[in-house]
Amino acid sequence: MSDFAAVEVDGLVKDFKGSIRGKRVRAVDGVSLRIEPGEVYGLIGPNGSGKSTTMKAVLGLLKPTGGRCAVFGRDSSKVDSRSEVGFLPEAPYFYRHLSGRETVNFFGKLCGMRGRVLRDRVDDLLELVGLWEARDRRLRGYSKGMLQRVGLAQALVQDPSLVVLDEPTAGVDPAGSREIRDLIFGLKERGKTVFLCSHLLEQVQEVCDRVGIISGGRLVNEGSLDELLAVENEVELVLRDAPPELLEQIGALVRVTHGAEMVSAGRARTTLEGVFLRETGGES
Amino acid sequence: MSQSLFFSPRKMWVIAGSTVTQLVRMKVFYFLIPIALLFIGLQFVDGFWFNGPDMLLPEQELRAHKSWCLGTMMVFSSLFAIVATALLIPGDVEDRTLYSILCKPVPRLDYLVGKLLGVVVVIGVAVLVMDLLLVLTLHFRAEAKLAEMIELMKVMKVGPEEAEVVKRELAEHGSTWNLQAGVLAHFLRACVIAAVALLISTFSNSTIFTIATSVMVWVIGSFQSIARDGIFRSQEMGEELTWADRVLGTLISVVFPDFQLYEAVADGAARAQEIVMGDVGKLLGLTGLYVGIYVVISWFVFSDKEL
Ligand SMILES: Nc1ncnc2c1ncn2[C@@H]1O[C@H](COP(=O)(O)OP(=O)(O)OP(=O)(O)O)[C@@H](O)[C@H]1O
Ligand SMILES: [Mg+2]
Repeated sequence: MSDFAAVEVDGLVKDFKGSIRGKRVRAVDGVSLRIEPGEVYGLIGPNGSGKSTTMKAVLGLLKPTGGRCAVFGRDSSKVDSRSEVGFLPEAPYFYRHLSGRETVNFFGKLCGMRGRVLRDRVDDLLELVGLWEARDRRLRGYSKGMLQRVGLAQALVQDPSLVVLDEPTAGVDPAGSREIRDLIFGLKERGKTVFLCSHLLEQVQEVCDRVGIISGGRLVNEGSLDELLAVENEVELVLRDAPPELLEQIGALVRVTHGAEMVSAGRARTTLEGVFLRETGGES
Repeated sequence: MSQSLFFSPRKMWVIAGSTVTQLVRMKVFYFLIPIALLFIGLQFVDGFWFNGPDMLLPEQELRAHKSWCLGTMMVFSSLFAIVATALLIPGDVEDRTLYSILCKPVPRLDYLVGKLLGVVVVIGVAVLVMDLLLVLTLHFRAEAKLAEMIELMKVMKVGPEEAEVVKRELAEHGSTWNLQAGVLAHFLRACVIAAVALLISTFSNSTIFTIATSVMVWVIGSFQSIARDGIFRSQEMGEELTWADRVLGTLISVVFPDFQLYEAVADGAARAQEIVMGDVGKLLGLTGLYVGIYVVISWFVFSDKEL
């Protein structure tokens, strides 16, 4: 199985019967990508660019207009390709009459789990996604972020080798999205493959090994983070407790060096996320 | 899309179980309360209310009780089958719970059969409860009638043999296995109509449309024998069948389930006629056939469905 890519998307095209006059909308236009086992891959792009559509095609929930998708070498249209995949849909929704625990239990059973193994797994997951306190409440009363967490627990229930997360942090508070980030790190450590998309670019930057940028249904750029982010001819210098004289000296050195130029200097800034976390007591 | 032939009964049961939970938590069984009240209320309505000032014979009165109860069971179980099925699958599509289910290794056939099975189980329980109520009320009513008759026969000085005959006849109109065949017929009819609603809901996605169309199929299915009789009769009277009549007749009998046999068995049960075991067997076979056909077509429609 390890000869195969975890996810292989080959020339995927997806048209939707869109407008009322029957004109077709091309949601995905010839996307090809390959995710190796153990990799964390992030797909980023504007709204409506085809991220969710690509993911659904990988899960076999949509039938491609053209091209093919495979998961660990098994065609996505086959039921058994789904046994090694956990999927968190965007804005997930579950049966409102079930409690959090019953929901995760139900999905575990659908994956063929049962008995003690399942029960322990469900409890672990509820603990992991921070829903232990709310485990016996009906989903009808869950908030958006809590539903997102149940969705995550449900996706992980059979301990799949590939986890596909469509905006895992949407609606989750900053501390929670840190936890989700750590969870993704944990998955990666255990050799799992993660395929995610998100609008929170800092987070994508933090967790992903490789990133694809999709726009208007086309993959416009793809590569490892280092490749994508490196600015060829600039170097960044961050100093702590530097006296003003030192800065003065550095500035003078730069001025006398032929061809070099100081682009910016000033106090290093933390991110808004960082400030929020510090003030609200979420651990970082 | 998931045309894989592999399916697992266990996953069907998981889906069925969750469907039962869902229906129970929607509090559908509360519907049984008005029905129970109706059955009990019927106890106190005597023949006078049904058939005008002429006194009814005791067995006529019991028969009226049975046909009212059986009729209620038929209407309730069939309508319930339609509404429940129509709410469940389009509901799953609409609120996207179906995504989460089908992205687990669950064949689409398992999902469909599971949903249908869940609805059938709930209908089965509801029918059983109603059956129990019917048997109880009928029992008390028959006992009361019997006591009345014995009193009457004492006054009229009827001989013991004749009294025996009267007692036996009355007992035949009480709760018997024949009556159970009628209950079974209604249950099976509800199963067929649930499968019809399942089929319609796989391509309609709309609860209202599914309910309206299923009710139409149900009504046409119940009356199609009459429609076909009409065509037959004109044939017997020497009229040439027009091409359109033939096509219409065939189309109706293929597309719509024919509930004639179901009706006949239930009617016989209400009249306390001897029910032929063969008819019950035929009923079971017919139900299996209809449900099988509808599920297979649903599967074909559903497996190509985009979510
Ligand atoms: N079921 C559908 N029917 C018709 N059009 C659809 C359907 N699903 C998606 N589309 C269209 O396909 C395009 C891509 O949608 P998609 O959901 O993949 O975007 P996305 O990248 O996930 O956007 P977002 O960031 O908002 O989640 C959009 O133009 C959308 O309108
Ligand atoms: Mg999306």
